[in-house]
Amino acid sequence: MAAPAKLKIWRVVRSENRWTNSAAQIKTLNCISGIDLFLTLDFRSHMARSKLSSSTGGSRKKRARVAKPRARPLTTAPTLEPGAPTDFELMKGIQAGDADALSQLYDRYNGILKALILRVIHNEAEADDLLQEIFMEIWNQAKNFSPQKGKPLGWMVTLARRRAIDGLRKKQAYARAEERLQNETEQQPDAWVHNATEDEIMLSDTRVLIRKVISSLPPAQQQAIDLAFFRGMSQREIAAKTNTPLGTVKTRLELGLKKIYDGLKDLRDEL
Amino acid sequence: MNFEQFQNQSRLYVIGALEPEEVEEFEKARQKFGKKAEDFIAKCYALHEAFALSLRPAKSSDAIKERLMAMVKAKKET
Repeated sequence: MAAPAKLKIWRVVRSENRWTNSAAQIKTLNCISGIDLFLTLDFRSHMARSKLSSSTGGSRKKRARVAKPRARPLTTAPTLEPGAPTDFELMKGIQAGDADALSQLYDRYNGILKALILRVIHNEAEADDLLQEIFMEIWNQAKNFSPQKGKPLGWMVTLARRRAIDGLRKKQAYARAEERLQNETEQQPDAWVHNATEDEIMLSDTRVLIRKVISSLPPAQQQAIDLAFFRGMSQREIAAKTNTPLGTVKTRLELGLKKIYDGLKDLRDEL
Repeated sequence: MNFEQFQNQSRLYVIGALEPEEVEEFEKARQKFGKKAEDFIAKCYALHEAFALSLRPAKSSDAIKERLMAMVKAKKET
C-alpha cells in the first residue's frame, strides 16, 4: 500500500539528511574546493518526472524505499500534455519561422537553461540577460539544428553552456564567481530540502539516486568533472588550478565520467 | 585509437574537456568508426543533459520572455 504523502516526504527528507550528514567525503570535498555541484543536484520537474514510467513490477521494494511516484527515462524531455508538440516539432516550427514555437520551447526549458547559466555565472541579472540572448540565438541558429545529431534539449544545453562560459571568461569574473559560489554553498547547501514542495520532493527521488551514483566517485573526480563542465576548464587549466599532474586530471575525468555514465545506465535498468 | 579509447575521449569531448591536440585525433577516430562513433557520442550527450537537468530549475522574470518575443517579432518584420 502506498505510504501517505507526508510519510513519503519524511522518508525522502530523512534520506537526504542521511546522505548529507553521513557523507563526510562529500563534505570534505565541499570544504576543500567550494564546489557544490554534487551537494545541490536537484532533479526536479523534468528529471523528476523521468524514470519510473518505464518500470514494470518486480522492483516494488526499491520503489517503496525511495517513494518515486512517476518518472521517465533519465534525461528525457518533460512530461507533455496530450497533443502538445514534441521538442522536435517545436524546433521544426522555429526553423520555419514560427514565433509561437519558440514561445512554447521557452516555457518548457527556460528554467533548466537559466539554472545552468546561473550555475556558471552566479549572477541573477546577468543570467536573465544571457537567457534572453540564448533563446534569441536558438531562434537565429535553429537552421543549424539537425535531429540526426541529437535531441533539441542537448543542442540547447550545449549552446547555453558555451554562452555562459564565454560570458564568464569575458568578464574575467572567475574570482568573484568563486567567492559567491563559496558563500552560497556555506549558506544554504541543502536549502532545497527544507523549502521543497511536495511535488519537488517526489521528483527528488531520482535526484537522490543520481546523487548516490555521483557521490560514489572519489572527491577528486567529482571536482575535476565540476571544473570541466560548469567552469569550462580544459584539462590543463584544471591541472593548474588543482596543482595536479595533467595525466592525473585526465584519468580522473575519464574514470569519473565513465562511472557516472555507467551508473546512469544501471539506474535506467533498475527503474 | 581503439574503440574503448574513443569512448573515453567521447565523454570528455561532450563536456568540452579535450585539449586541442586531442580533438584532432578524436575527429580522425570519429571518422574511422563512422556511425558507431556517432551513436556513442549521441549517448554521451545524454550524460551532458543529465548534468544540466540535475540543477533545480530557476525562475526567470516574465519581462525576459516579453523582451525576447518582441525581439523575435521585430526581427521577423525586418
